[in-house]
Amino acid sequence: MAPVSDSNRQLGPENAAMDRVERLVRTWVASGRPEEVQETVSAISAGQASLLDVVKALGEYLTAEEDELRSKGVEFLAQVIAQCPSERMNRQAVKVLVLFMCSKLEDTETIIPALKGLVSLVTQPAFTSVDAVDVVKAMFAHVKMRVLVQSQRFMVYTIIDSLVAKHREAFLNMGDAFLDGYISLAEGEKDPRNLLVAFAIARVLLIEFDIKHHVEALFNITFCYFPITFRPPPDDPYGITSEDLKKALRGCLNATPEFGPLAVPLFLEKITAGSPATKRDTLQTLDACLPVYGASVAREHARKLWNTLKLEIFQPTDPETESMALHTVQVLIQTIYSGTGAETSEDDDIQGLARDACEECIRILKEPEKSQAKPAMKVLCAFVSTTPSVAKFTLAQAVPHLVKLFHDPAEAPNRAPVLRLLADLADAARASTLADGAALAPYKDELLGMLTVGLRVPGGAVHALDGLAAAVRTPGLLGDDERGFAVHSVNALLGGDVAEMGEDVSDKILALLGAVSALAPAHVAETTLPLLFGALPAAAPARADDAARLTVWTTLAFLKRLCMQADLFGTLVARLTATLDALCVPPAPAPAGPAEDRDAEDAEPTAAYAHALLRTLADALAAKVARGDGDVPAYTARLLPALFNLHVYAALAHGGADSVASDPRLVAVSAEVVTLVLQTADVPTQEEFVRALFAAYLDGQLQGIAEGRHQFPEGRTFAPFAPDASGLQKNLVLLFSAAVVALHKEVALAVPDESAFVDTLLQWGIFHADSKHQSDAAEHAVAAVLNKRTEGFQAFLTQKLESSWLAQAKDVTLALPVRRRVITAWTWMTKALQVRGHPSAQAFTDRLIELFDDNDVGWDAARAIGQVVSSDKVLTKKHHAVIKFLYAQKFANVMLPRIIDGAKTASDPRRQNAYLVALTSLIRSIPKTAYLHALPALMPLLLRGLDLPDAEMRANAIDTLLAVADPESTASCALVAEHASSLVATMLKNSMVQQMPSARVRTAALKYLAVMPSLVKYDVLHPQKPTVLRELAKTLDDPKRAVRKEAVEARTNWFKYTG
Amino acid sequence: MSMESFNPNPTVFATAKAPRATQFAKPHSLWLEDDNTDSEREEEDESNDAEPIDQDEIFELIRSISDPEHRSMSLEQLAVVSAPQIIFDSKSPDRITVEFTPTVPHCGMSTFIGLSIRVRLLRSLPDRYKIDIRVKPGSHQSEHALNKQLNDKERVAAALENPALLEVLEQCLSTATRSA
Repeated sequence: MAPVSDSNRQLGPENAAMDRVERLVRTWVASGRPEEVQETVSAISAGQASLLDVVKALGEYLTAEEDELRSKGVEFLAQVIAQCPSERMNRQAVKVLVLFMCSKLEDTETIIPALKGLVSLVTQPAFTSVDAVDVVKAMFAHVKMRVLVQSQRFMVYTIIDSLVAKHREAFLNMGDAFLDGYISLAEGEKDPRNLLVAFAIARVLLIEFDIKHHVEALFNITFCYFPITFRPPPDDPYGITSEDLKKALRGCLNATPEFGPLAVPLFLEKITAGSPATKRDTLQTLDACLPVYGASVAREHARKLWNTLKLEIFQPTDPETESMALHTVQVLIQTIYSGTGAETSEDDDIQGLARDACEECIRILKEPEKSQAKPAMKVLCAFVSTTPSVAKFTLAQAVPHLVKLFHDPAEAPNRAPVLRLLADLADAARASTLADGAALAPYKDELLGMLTVGLRVPGGAVHALDGLAAAVRTPGLLGDDERGFAVHSVNALLGGDVAEMGEDVSDKILALLGAVSALAPAHVAETTLPLLFGALPAAAPARADDAARLTVWTTLAFLKRLCMQADLFGTLVARLTATLDALCVPPAPAPAGPAEDRDAEDAEPTAAYAHALLRTLADALAAKVARGDGDVPAYTARLLPALFNLHVYAALAHGGADSVASDPRLVAVSAEVVTLVLQTADVPTQEEFVRALFAAYLDGQLQGIAEGRHQFPEGRTFAPFAPDASGLQKNLVLLFSAAVVALHKEVALAVPDESAFVDTLLQWGIFHADSKHQSDAAEHAVAAVLNKRTEGFQAFLTQKLESSWLAQAKDVTLALPVRRRVITAWTWMTKALQVRGHPSAQAFTDRLIELFDDNDVGWDAARAIGQVVSSDKVLTKKHHAVIKFLYAQKFANVMLPRIIDGAKTASDPRRQNAYLVALTSLIRSIPKTAYLHALPALMPLLLRGLDLPDAEMRANAIDTLLAVADPESTASCALVAEHASSLVATMLKNSMVQQMPSARVRTAALKYLAVMPSLVKYDVLHPQKPTVLRELAKTLDDPKRAVRKEAVEARTNWFKYTG
Repeated sequence: MSMESFNPNPTVFATAKAPRATQFAKPHSLWLEDDNTDSEREEEDESNDAEPIDQDEIFELIRSISDPEHRSMSLEQLAVVSAPQIIFDSKSPDRITVEFTPTVPHCGMSTFIGLSIRVRLLRSLPDRYKIDIRVKPGSHQSEHALNKQLNDKERVAAALENPALLEVLEQCLSTATRSA
């Protein structure tokens, strides 16, 4: 470059800028780096250079003979334009650049960068409609889509898309020239990315432009893509789904009514001949198109459409297609009959398809018991949700027809199917948004009459109940007295033999009564409940009276589900506790002498009846707690004292003799009730309750907690924790624990020293409890307190860890059950800490691992590892336990590698096996995701686990294998294939009753054999097939029915297992 | 397989339900079953007291086989098979007669239905059983020939050599194994 002379000084900065741009251009042509483009853009942004300078600087390249240089020149300009801020793109610059880029479209070497430039230019604010027309004309003239690759064609579509969006008016004026040009551009496009844009453009053209001369051409460039069969490749970076394309294409096909006559015949062809997926796509497209195509097109093709759709309904390929076809029928009817003034016309005016189809279906319904009746009714039900006039017409045809059939003596055997059809129709009328209660109103009396009579038709009750439920739920259809009549008719069913009633019938009765209660609870409360309570006898059914017992159970099942509402539940509690009291403490003293012996003998049925009553209360409460009902806390005062009273009285009054209320099974259910109710109480209520509870259990002060109907005998003390307490009193620790478990963490125990008390409880559970129930109860209470009130227990925990408290489990001078209880107690303490993520939890777990060596309790300690994080019913959110998120995963992350390592490397086989036991027990307790990654290391260990002599461990190992058996996962299948032969052999061995006494293991092994064909390729296992089939034939003769069922499943799968 | 329709619109029957008492308690127990004592239940299942194969268990095996003509319906729904039509021989307990009722007397699918029942039972019952399969007397126009064909070992074996037939058979049987 020549040195700048003095005379040029004023022009200096400009020249310098020019120099700089030229330099940048030269460097870029050589390097192609983005930095130069950026620098040029910043120079322009800063006003130091103009776009014109860039064009000037590019001069020699833009006109170069060499193709590559020309291309690079335009490319640089395009890149600069793309990044250039709009405020630097004035009208003049845009105009020049547009003309320049358009001219470069002619040159095959520069067309690609020119398109890039245009993509940026068309979005500029200074870009005008005149430019737009110039651009499309140039593109129509010079762009040959066939020679461009996808990304370049994409630019073409992008340019047109933004132009059509912003300068539509200009193109409208261009008229046919624009449409012709675009159609020839877009013809033959295949790439899904481009098609998405092309469909969007086509929709605008179809809606906004005058297309009368181009209907066919536009139809051809859109319909040719129907149906979309595109499957996105795996890990498609563009993320275009077949659904996106279908939606966009549907947007074109339903853009104009002009397409109707062309498209409908083709749609019909696709439905008839297509695959199920095509059928469904076509049906959905028809749904979108028919309303646009309009009534006349629909009417013209009505017959053909109906005939085609009918086939999909009466001989459905699959349920999904069937329901879509039904929907399309609805759309068709709506298209034909709405907007024609049909709303105001009379029923008789319905002509054409709706009438014909309706009559056709009614003809089929003349044989209501046949298989075709069902789809025919589906069509009629669909009609009820179309237009008001068609709905009215359909009901006027169908209801009288069904009523007539029902009352026809010749059709008497077919009454049940007729009821089914009527119930479906009534429900469709209820669900229909256009027909309010009025639609069925004209037929209300016949309907109610037929349905109530139908309740007594053999096999018809279920359907009649459905129909009644539909009628009750239809707003404005039935009056209060009619609802009363429906309840009354159903009560008649309950008055019969409820035990004979099928489960489906009782479910439907409950649904119906529930629906009535929601509107008017009085009918159920005043007529149904007394009937049910009346069916409960005052005394238990005798041992041999199975029928009476079944009636009791069924009645209770009804009550449990009907009495959810607050008032009804109050009644339930009152009635059941009264019966319970009378059962447990008979009002009149039993006659002396031999009669008493007989009573004792036959106490079991009474206890079982009392248990059933309590169970009903507990189940109803559990359902109410799950729903979050607000009336539950009130039962802390209304129900719990009565229960304590009953049980304490039984323990004191009989002083050792068995009585009904001291049966441990009853106490266990009462304990459930205590926890259910108390967990919903607030802190002050709980505090008050705890004070009374502790006063009773520690000081024998019963008045606070066990006030009630029964007076305790004088001179008997209640001290269940005393070492010499009777077994009956000790049992009541269950109730105590049930209350402690439900406490909020703010509620302090009513003792001076919580640690000391918990320690006592711990010792009691290990050394003084008589049964597993009792020691469990003590451990649960310990765990609940430790978990919630950890802050006060630091010293306690340290002392337990440092005094090697757990070492008692190794003490051979203690009885083995006691040593096991030490381990269980320790496990519960560990669990209480682990779930809240307490820092000492790990140290507690480590102590368990130290026990693995022990000859007697090593396996118990190993099993405990899984129990630490197994799900339980004590430490739950509902019981206000402190639970840390993902605690089980965290535990697994620490323990799984240690256990795997231990199982592989432990020195002696006994210790290795203990690790295997720990492994199977841990895996059972943690979520699948927590161990899936370790599967390759686990597989050999699990196979070893299958050789352990312990049946439970084997079953756990197989269950784990089953849990990870995922035919979809190639990794897990490969792993199974690797061990396939040994797995087959082991599983066969474990499935034979002669070799494996445990039914649970046999079942699991057979289940695994049943999934193997789906996991392993046939060529791997085909040599084993004959052996497996022969061996499995033996398992078909297993003594247990459940095992045989699995054997059948497994053997069938192996028969089907072929290459 | 011919596409001829023998009975395009057959009568549909209600299917049987499980007896009521089982939902409340274990057999012969006075005590109402707890909804959530599954853990205990597992332990109690360990006794190996024999539960002999009975009529209901065999019916359970064949009730859900699809009808070859109406694949969406089961043999039970069309009343082709029923529990009382499974008869144990009172003299030798390993002899069973399974009777079935074609929906129409000219039903050309009857052989196939019989064959599907035969194959299902061959695969699912222990070897010791000897099974006779027959159509209900008077329910089919070529009753005698049918019965003969279905109980002829050679002909059953020959039919199973036919790959096309076997494929349809597997399809009809596939609904029977869908364990609930």
